[in-house]
Formats: sequence, structure tokens, C-alpha cells
Amino acid sequence: MKYIWLVAVREFAENAKTKGFWLGLILLPIMLLIGIRVQAMLKKAIPVRHFIVVDQSDDYGKPIARALRRDLGKQRLEALTSWSSKHAVEGKPVDLDRIPASIEQLKKQLGANPQLLDACSTDAGWELLKQSTRKQIASDAPPIEEPTARFVRVPLPDEVTPDDDPDAIAKALKPYLLQQKQLTVDGEPVDLFAAVIIPKDVRGRTLEDVALAAKKGTELPTVQYWSINLADTDLPGLMQRAIDEEYQRRAYVDKGVNIAAVKKIQDASLPLAKKNPKKREGREDVSMADLIRQWAPIGFVYLLWVAIFTVSQMLLNNTIEEKSNRIIEVLLSSVTARELMWGKLFGIAAVGLTMVAAWIVSFFAILVSHKSQETQMINQVLEVLQTSNLIPYFVVYFLFGFLFYAGIFLSIGSICNTLKEAQNFMGPIMMVMMVPLVTMFFIPKDPNGTLATVLSWIPLYTPFVMMNRTAADPPLFDQVGTIVLMIVSTAVMLWLSAKIFRTGILRSGQPPRLVEVFRWLKSS
Amino acid sequence: MTASALTLDRVTKRYGDFTAVDDLSLEVPTGSIYGFLGPNGSGKTTSIRMILEILKPTKGSITVLGKPSALDVRDRIGYLPEEKGLYKKMKAWSIIAYFAALKGLDKKTAKTRAFELLERYGLKGFAESRTEALSKGMQQKVQVLASIAHEPELVILDEPFSGLDPVNQEVMEEVIRDMAAANRTILFSTHVMQHAERICDRIVLISKGRRVFDGTIAEAKRALPRRVRIETEDDVAALRDLPVVKDVIGLTVDGMPVEMTAATEPVTHWEVDLTDDADGQAVLEACFKNGIKLAQFDQSDPSLHDVFVHLVGPDAKEAAVR
Repeated sequence: MKYIWLVAVREFAENAKTKGFWLGLILLPIMLLIGIRVQAMLKKAIPVRHFIVVDQSDDYGKPIARALRRDLGKQRLEALTSWSSKHAVEGKPVDLDRIPASIEQLKKQLGANPQLLDACSTDAGWELLKQSTRKQIASDAPPIEEPTARFVRVPLPDEVTPDDDPDAIAKALKPYLLQQKQLTVDGEPVDLFAAVIIPKDVRGRTLEDVALAAKKGTELPTVQYWSINLADTDLPGLMQRAIDEEYQRRAYVDKGVNIAAVKKIQDASLPLAKKNPKKREGREDVSMADLIRQWAPIGFVYLLWVAIFTVSQMLLNNTIEEKSNRIIEVLLSSVTARELMWGKLFGIAAVGLTMVAAWIVSFFAILVSHKSQETQMINQVLEVLQTSNLIPYFVVYFLFGFLFYAGIFLSIGSICNTLKEAQNFMGPIMMVMMVPLVTMFFIPKDPNGTLATVLSWIPLYTPFVMMNRTAADPPLFDQVGTIVLMIVSTAVMLWLSAKIFRTGILRSGQPPRLVEVFRWLKSS
Repeated sequence: MTASALTLDRVTKRYGDFTAVDDLSLEVPTGSIYGFLGPNGSGKTTSIRMILEILKPTKGSITVLGKPSALDVRDRIGYLPEEKGLYKKMKAWSIIAYFAALKGLDKKTAKTRAFELLERYGLKGFAESRTEALSKGMQQKVQVLASIAHEPELVILDEPFSGLDPVNQEVMEEVIRDMAAANRTILFSTHVMQHAERICDRIVLISKGRRVFDGTIAEAKRALPRRVRIETEDDVAALRDLPVVKDVIGLTVDGMPVEMTAATEPVTHWEVDLTDDADGQAVLEACFKNGIKLAQFDQSDPSLHDVFVHLVGPDAKEAAVR
């Protein structure tokens, strides 16, 4: 035990001194930091989207305008939250909801029970909120960065007739949508991002109309959204919600439902939202956290892969160094091959754990330090990390994955004299190791499907795939079974590699043929 | 304390059909300097690895410091392998301290000892250098120091002189004598006979895995027939008829028997083997009588080199050609 400890301490100390170790240690956090910064920059860098609404039904113009104001209101509220928390007087956090002056004044202006978001959506309310927040925060705070509207509705170009057939309008707008032509807004040329065409027939459409058409099998003309950029879902989402809201409101009226009552019912769910104004408008925030919960394991699979590979590579290099420098003989006169192997495994595992721990700590530090700023996604990532068991699983899977692959790498290291010889073996190993990287994006989509389940039971992939599946609560049988499998397969792998290690480590000359290695396994 | 620090009893090591060490027995008395000699490929390194329990013998038993396995007494053994190497990135002192710690010294003592040794053998200025920055000779010195820093009772050195310049070879001899003076037992292998002749109490000579001689240097020399060496360009056939002469053998300039080489030049060096109690004077007289003009007449004792060539020459030759 003492010898294992001595070897392990040396392995740890020597590897912790290498440049590669420190590079690995800081590179990932730096990448995360850059990622966050770049994301924030990109968010600011998204250009103002100009779009056209042709409303032949005359039903949806106002709701869309309202939705746009609320979207701006949302930006303003985010900016206000970030501004007030960034420049809050120490020990006195600003609670926007509890700024009595502003609430009282707003009530007078906006009628009963206004929400912060409503306030932000009007220019007057926005000015008031800014002023009253200003009084609560540090006096030397810089002025708030005034958010601008993300989406700007622009009028139709002159040559397009608004009363034309929707298809004709779409055809006329095509050159603009394809950015072959530009619109002129306030004398400035701008690109047209999208066009929303609401045909005449939509006007006054009732639920019965829809049902009847469905019965007959005819297709009713519907709202068209034209854009070459369908990846950006913000604008179509906004339009969809605005139009649905209005459509539903009309349906209520049509059915003789008391709208005031409906509003009241809707308001009844509001106090909950009141505590966190950001959650009020849509349920999309909730689904975002769910999304993160679902996809976070991918990040961990990647980390796991990088960690295991980096650390196993260290083990390979060290073993080959000892072998090619013939240090191995001196070592073996002091310790047994078994002690040497375990010492190396523990020492390098400690290096790996240190690296992994440093990553986790620095990730948390980075996330926490960016928490107060507008990136609300970070808050959710943090929440997911704290409430799920991703991290404990990660550590367990790292240890088993490392020990398993360490067995393979130790065997290779012990039969090769130079790194160059080892490269020949590394080729196939790399191919095998690529599989989890390829499948890690598919597995969350069907985390308990056949592919995921089968891969989970292949020891080479168990740690990666099970990490991949953690978010989806795999069946208990899989969870417990694969852990047992990992314990057994790791033990067998280490037992086999101990045999190869013992014989291979003293060998010089060419690497043995596979048949020969099998003979070592059989003997003694 | 046992009388012999190391005993090998009929030890054999086979790799498949190849027998590396064949029925080797050996006894190394405590406190002696024992030379382990033999040509390349004769099984020296394999034997040493078996002594250290790095390899297991196919047959036979080994007793080290009174224990059946070197592992039981590994802290009391020091070992310098034939092929030398160090961790390139480690500092000289820390590598010595590390190996000493592996031999049971506590960290602090190991460190102090490392600096002491480096200072004593002239490497004080390089204690903090990475070993890759040292010259080959210095690296080897560091390795020797690393193998003896824990003051082992039994020191096994495999080819300690190879790769050292003459000055450092003398330093190495000094290290060995220092250790012997402290009543340690030293077993070292070499194929350079001068070193063995200078410092060994006893030698064992092996060839093709078999022991061909075991004893003191004086006994080794006695293993050779008494002989004189002469150099002449004349015919030496008359000498063969002398009663004291057993044989006359032509030699190359290097001292190898002519029939073992493919030399075609006329032979000028001769070895005249004598009967056991004969006197070289008789040969000299015969030379005068027969008009053999001598360029050189040498009646000095044979060197260990001669013994080596005599005992294992043909085997070594064969091994070298193979």
C-alpha cells in the first residue's frame, strides 16, 4: 500500500507540473467564458428585423401592434432588472415590485392592478419606472441602456396593392424577401425580414367554420408567414401568439362568454407570476429550463470524453516513458508490477479528478458571476445543475470510464517501446471511442430507445451513454444494471491488463503479436 | 547475519525452447565484491532480474539476504540496471529522493541523503537541474546514486561502467570500494575485465547461461595453463619438441588464437603452453639454441582478459556472429 501511495504521489506531482495539464485545466473554462460573452454580444448584435403585415381582414392589426409593444416592454423590463441589480446599493437589493412610488403612480396612469410588463410596454410607464428605479440605486450609476424594438413593422412598398390576392402580394414581395430589393424606411434602405399576409377570408371566422371545412375536406385560406430565415423563431412565435390570442378572444365573444370573466380568470393565475415578472408572459421560460435539463447531459458527455481521453493519454505517455527509458527495471526492483500499476492508476485518476473538479468549480464560478446579467439562460443552467444529479453521476462515470480505458491504455503502453508504435494501436481505439461522440446528439431524442439501451450495455460505452441518458430517468434496471456491469467489466479489464502489463513492461524489441498477448493472458 | 548475502541454487530460466540461464548455482559471501562476468547474451541480465524477482526462474531457488524472495528484502537491495534511464523532467535530487523513498526512507531523510550524495560525488551544482539537461555521464552517476541512496546491504550493478569516461569509471570504482568498506555486498556484471580484475574479490564467469568458472581472481588465473608469449618472425616448430612445452599456438596481434580467426597474415605472435611446474627459462634457452630471434619474450601472469578469452572465447565469438 505504501508503495502504491508513493508511486501515485509521484505520478500526480509530475503530471500536475506539465503544461498539458494546466492547458487542459484552463482551456475549457475559458471556452465557456468566451461562449457566454460571445452569446451576449450576438444577442446585442442581432439586427432590427423589419417586416410587413398585410391585414386584409382588419381583425389583427391592433393585436399585432400590442404584441410588438409588449415585446419591447419585455426587453425594457430585462434591461431594467439587469440595470437595477448591477448598480444596486450594497445591502439594499432593488425589488422592482416594491417600489411604492412607482406602483401608486402607475395605478393612476394605467388603471387598476397594472403589471410591471404592462408598465414597460407604454412609454409613459417606462419613463416612470426608470425614474423611480433611479432613486433606489447607486447615485453614480450610468444611465440605463435604452433597449430598442427588435421588430419594426414597415408599410408596404408603393407598387404593391394591399387589396390584391394574397398570392399576388406574396409574388410582388418576393424580390424584397429574397433581399434582391430593399425597402426604404425613413429614407434609409432596409432589408425585408418577413411578410405576414392575413387574407380577407380569415375575417370573422368561427370555430364552426373550421369544423365545417374539415368535414367537407376543403382547405381554408390561412395566415401566411413569408421569410427566408426560418431558423429565427422569435418573430413567427410572436405573430402566432398575437394572432391566436385575438382569435381566441373573438371565439369567446362569439360564444357569448363574458370576456371580463375570462380576463378575471386569467388574472387569477397572475399573483404567482407577480413574484417573478419574467415568467408572466409565456410558458416558454419553463420549457427552456426543461430543454436545458434535457440537453445538459450532452455537455457532460463531451466533458467526460475529453477528461477520460486526456487522462488516459497521460497514462499511456508515462508508461511508455518508463519503458523506453528503462526506468521500469529500477522501479520493479523496488515495487511489484501490480503496485506500480495501481500507483499509476490512482495517481493519474487523482490528476483527472483534480482537472474535473477544477472544471466544475470554475464553471460554477463563471456561471454565478454572470448570473446578475441579462442572460437568464445561465440562471436556468445553474438551477438545473443544482437540482439534478448530473454532477455526482459525472464523477462516478468518470472514475469507472477512466479505470476501464486506463486498462486498455496501460496494456498498450506496456507492450510498446515508443509513442510511434503506440499510434498503430491508437487508430482502432480512437475509432471505437468516437462512437459516443457521434451518438451523443441522438440519444437525448430517444433516451430510453433501442440504440441508447443497447449502447448502455456495451462496457466501452456505458459511462458515456448512461451519462447521456441521466436526464430521462432511465429504467431502474438499466441504472443499477449498468453500474454493476461497469464494476464487473472494469475489474475484468484491469485484471487482464495487469497480466499484459506484467509481461509486456519488461519486453523490449518489437511489440508482440496479438496471438502472443493472448498467450500471456492464458499463462500464469 | 547470514554468511552469504546471495545464493542461487540450480537456477534455470527458459523462454520457450531457448534456455537463457542453465542450472546456475552461485554463492556470494557477505561483504564481498563479486564480479559477474560473461560475454554479451550469456544470461547475466536475466540472472540479475531473477535475483531481483523481476523474473521468475523456471527451475531452482534463490535466497537473497536470507529470504527466499527479493521482495521480502527489497528495501535492503540496491539495483542499477544495464540500460540506464531516468525520468527526463524530474530534478536530479528529486529522482534520487524518489527512489530512496521507494526503498523505505522517509521523505525528509531521502531528500537530505540525495543532496549529500550529489555533493560528495561532484554534482552539487546540478541538484536542481532536470535530468534531461545533464550529460550522459552525469545522468548515469545520478542513477547510481539513486540506486544506493538508501544504503542497501546488497548492491547489484549491471554493467555499471558502460558509457562512462575513464575518469568517471574510476569514480565508479571508488563508489564500489566505498560500499565494500562499509561491509556491503556488491555483485556487479561487466564484460570489461580490467575493472573486475582491479576490484573483485571473486568472480563468476558464465557463458551461454552456464557457469564456466567461479572463484577468486588468483584461482581464475590458475585455470589457465602456464605459458609464455613470444614474438618472432622465425619458425617456432622446434619449440614443440621440448618436454616442458604442451602446445604452441599462433596468436593474432589482439591476442586471439589464430585458428579462431580468419586472419591470413603470417603469424608472429605465439603462445607457448607449458606443463604445470615448468620454467619459462627452458623455452628461452631453446630459442637461443635454435636461433629463433625474439622480438619479445613475456612470462608475466595471464590477465583476467586472457582467462575470459580462454574460457569463453569460442562461445562469445559464436554469439557475436549469430
